[in-house]
Amino acid sequence: MYRWDFSPVIANGDLLLAGLANTLALTGVALAGGIPVGLALALARLSGSRFLSAPAGVVIEVFRTTPPLVQLFWFYFGLPIVLKVEMTPYLAAALTFTIQSGAFFAEIFRAGIVSVDRGQREAARAIGMTEAQAMRRIVLPQAVKRMFPAMMERSIELMKTTTLVATVSYADLLYQANELAQKTFRPLEVFTAAALMYLVTISLVSAIAALVERRMAVSGEMAR
Amino acid sequence: MSYRWDFAPVLDNWQALAFGAIGTVRLFLVCLVLGLSLGLVVALMRRSRHGVLRWLAIGFIELFRNTPVLVQILWFYFALPMLVPVEISPFGAAILGISLNSAAYSAEIYRAGIQSIEPGQWEAARAIGMTGLQVLRRIVLPQALRRVLPALTNRGIEIFKMTTLASVVAYVELLQQGKLVASLNFNPLEVYTVIGALFFLLLYPLVRATYALERRLARSD
Repeated sequence: MYRWDFSPVIANGDLLLAGLANTLALTGVALAGGIPVGLALALARLSGSRFLSAPAGVVIEVFRTTPPLVQLFWFYFGLPIVLKVEMTPYLAAALTFTIQSGAFFAEIFRAGIVSVDRGQREAARAIGMTEAQAMRRIVLPQAVKRMFPAMMERSIELMKTTTLVATVSYADLLYQANELAQKTFRPLEVFTAAALMYLVTISLVSAIAALVERRMAVSGEMAR
Repeated sequence: MSYRWDFAPVLDNWQALAFGAIGTVRLFLVCLVLGLSLGLVVALMRRSRHGVLRWLAIGFIELFRNTPVLVQILWFYFALPMLVPVEISPFGAAILGISLNSAAYSAEIYRAGIQSIEPGQWEAARAIGMTGLQVLRRIVLPQALRRVLPALTNRGIEIFKMTTLASVVAYVELLQQGKLVASLNFNPLEVYTVIGALFFLLLYPLVRATYALERRLARSD
């Protein structure tokens, strides 16, 4: 019978916590980049112009249909060859996850914008707003509220996807756990502790999201 | 931007990539079958009258949905052998991680499908003398499965993308073989472009088919 011993994990708890901080930082950066990219892609996709909507469609479809690990490797190992730039694991991960989550956010934005009744846009235009004003003042505020649940779900998916950066040696929680497991010869305890840290963090985020959703539902105008 | 792309070394190594592709498809098929069927079992447990079964299902779903699949694969590969005295191959660890993760996700899909069938149908079927299992098999599941088919196809596409994670434990699949070819020929740009393109070409028709399926179901409902 195996004897569990968590003391080496606890003794090195700061390493795992530093990893968790890096995971959260990377998720934050990818979110901060991904949401504007997603909005831009969605607006380009919905614009009447073929020159905007076609490239946006390609970016969205390619990043949604190819595996994120292949994308990461492409940005980390492949891109520096074309661009002749020094690529760090952090930069590669931030780029990959910004564009990848942007592609997913674009579809969420699109669904939200399309869900706002056409008549509202027409009414806004009729009282003299420009297309951009109608979008900013009338459509987007309602669309964003309806999109909230899907946005939160995607953000949680994003946090889980950031574990892939461990494969290019960025010191996220998973990478730190892997290092620690090799150092302490306690893979069972270390990986279990890391899994629990993810579980707690992600459960906490989804609990907060559920709470906000309920608040929004009370004030009306939610999807469904 | 004066880099000259050269795909010849990638094409010369097509056999290595084809070998990897076989590994990818093999892993995908096993995980698809295991994940989607186990998911149905978990969904039914989740609806069970027995508290123990229900809580087991909820715990399983929450655990596997709220942790990253890569952590699950690594846990099965590095941690599980400490607990049970068996050797776990990269293939086995990838199957365990991806299948159980997919089971948790698809359980929620099945549950939504079963819940979408009006209670009146259950009552009517029970009233004409069917047992609970018969109602499920003959009345509820055929309709529920039809409704969730697009969501299940999406899950299938996700499983296919997830198979690349098996390269982390050195299971021989497309990306793993790509790493090998790239390190031997110093051409990561071309290799990963080709691999990305292969995944896209394989999966995009499926994505389109799912869209079409969604539209058809939306019309018929």
